[in-house]
Amino acid sequence: MTSEAIISVDWGRLRFFLGEVLTNFTRNAGMQFTAIGTVAVTIVLLGSFLYVRQTLTTFGTGVLKQIEIAVYLKDDVGDPQARALATRFAKDNRIAAAIYVPKAQGLKRMRAVLGKDFDTSLLTANPLPNTYRVRVKDADSVPNVAAWIAKDPRVAKTDYAADTVQKLLKTAAVLGRAGIALIVLLSISAAIVIANTIRLTVFARRREIAIMQLVGATNLYIRMPFIAEGMLAGLLGAGVAIGVLAAAQHEIVPKLAQTLAFVTFDVNGTQLCLELLGCGAAVGIVAAWYSVGRHLRA
Amino acid sequence: MIRLRGVSLTYPNGTRALDHVDLEIEKGSFVFLVGHSGTGKSSLLKLVYREELPSNGEVWVDNVRVDTLRRGKVPKLRRNIGVVFQDFKLLAHKTVWENVAFALQVTGTRTRDVMRMVPRALDLVGLSHKSRMFPDELSGGEQQRTAIARALVGNPKILLCDEPTGNLDPSNTTEIMELLQRINLKGTTVVVATHNQAVVDRMRRRVVRLEHGRILHDDERGYYFRGLGQTAVLPG
Repeated sequence: MTSEAIISVDWGRLRFFLGEVLTNFTRNAGMQFTAIGTVAVTIVLLGSFLYVRQTLTTFGTGVLKQIEIAVYLKDDVGDPQARALATRFAKDNRIAAAIYVPKAQGLKRMRAVLGKDFDTSLLTANPLPNTYRVRVKDADSVPNVAAWIAKDPRVAKTDYAADTVQKLLKTAAVLGRAGIALIVLLSISAAIVIANTIRLTVFARRREIAIMQLVGATNLYIRMPFIAEGMLAGLLGAGVAIGVLAAAQHEIVPKLAQTLAFVTFDVNGTQLCLELLGCGAAVGIVAAWYSVGRHLRA
Repeated sequence: MIRLRGVSLTYPNGTRALDHVDLEIEKGSFVFLVGHSGTGKSSLLKLVYREELPSNGEVWVDNVRVDTLRRGKVPKLRRNIGVVFQDFKLLAHKTVWENVAFALQVTGTRTRDVMRMVPRALDLVGLSHKSRMFPDELSGGEQQRTAIARALVGNPKILLCDEPTGNLDPSNTTEIMELLQRINLKGTTVVVATHNQAVVDRMRRRVVRLEHGRILHDDERGYYFRGLGQTAVLPG
């Protein structure tokens, strides 16, 4: 927009338009509250769902990134042979790091981790194999790298916690689909309430609409204040919901974070708020468009 | 200016409002449509501003065929036609000024032009001094003058009046008819549907009489009932 265009804004027309929107909005205050409330409930659920999904996905992806492949070497593979494997790992550009853990060090670590719960005096020999802990650069390549390593004759077995992580991500995906279905249903109900509210306003203003049509106002012009009304209801509903969600986050997340220390609650708040406001506005606009359209066609 | 060719109109409930009507109204003329209630006067006006579509025939306004006009083009047609009703159709919560300005504001007129055009229309109908009043603070005649100002504020070429004096006493009726004459003298085509015999007979303008949806007679300088005219003095 050029600076001249900005200067030439017709404030009188803008004031008239906003006046029309405000008149519409305040005419059915009771119904507006119902509409805003329904949108708010929908958006609270949508927000909570998006929050949980984002947290699970972040957590799952984070865990996947940290996955180590445990490479257990055969018993007959001696220390020098085992150390030679490191050269092979270093040449592979999929691998970020490969740490060699000789069996003695492994037992020591096990003792340190398990402490008193593990009575090592019962052991007559070290049961642990020589091990490599391999970290890959890209989490997706974990299964391939593990399979490739397993082919080495010195390797007895490879292991990684993929199943658990895959399950976690699968849960997030299922939750996503179920959640989307739920949100769609809730959005439809919110849209119906807004549409009915707008229909009441349209009914209350039928005389004005008739005059507008009579003097040659376009259908788009007649629609605009109602669309703005629907959008306003949607935005206010989303605003209330964001307030509720922010309060919930303030109260609940610190407690959860204490209990679930391994989960990082790192959600992009600004982006989530914008998404929720967008959803609220969209539901309002669609509902209003449909509602007024029916009247204008009639 | 307005041309109807073989126009019939049957409503969905089967009522035949107009039956093969042929009518031509010249630019700048003043025409009365007369007849009893239900003879098709209002239906004829509705065809002109495209509130209704004919079942048969053609409707032309200012060389534009109205009955086949696309929906999107209807607003433009209506900006050239002012319509006045018996019940005024004013908005109770708006002042006289706001009611008149409304017609311009909802058609996207610039505020600068609204500020210039509204006082002119109010001046024409003699209501400049009551511009801040609300409709229920005005007499019936004043309310109708407000409605006329609203119909005229956009400078339409045609003014259609559907029983404009139906709710008014004789003195207000005279006042409104004088106003319509003045508007006609400025070049606007005026079509008045009425069953007020006194008004028609006094003014001696073109009279088109409808009965059962057909044109019964069409007389220049006619009377409400052909051959039964009263001797009347033109107002003003």
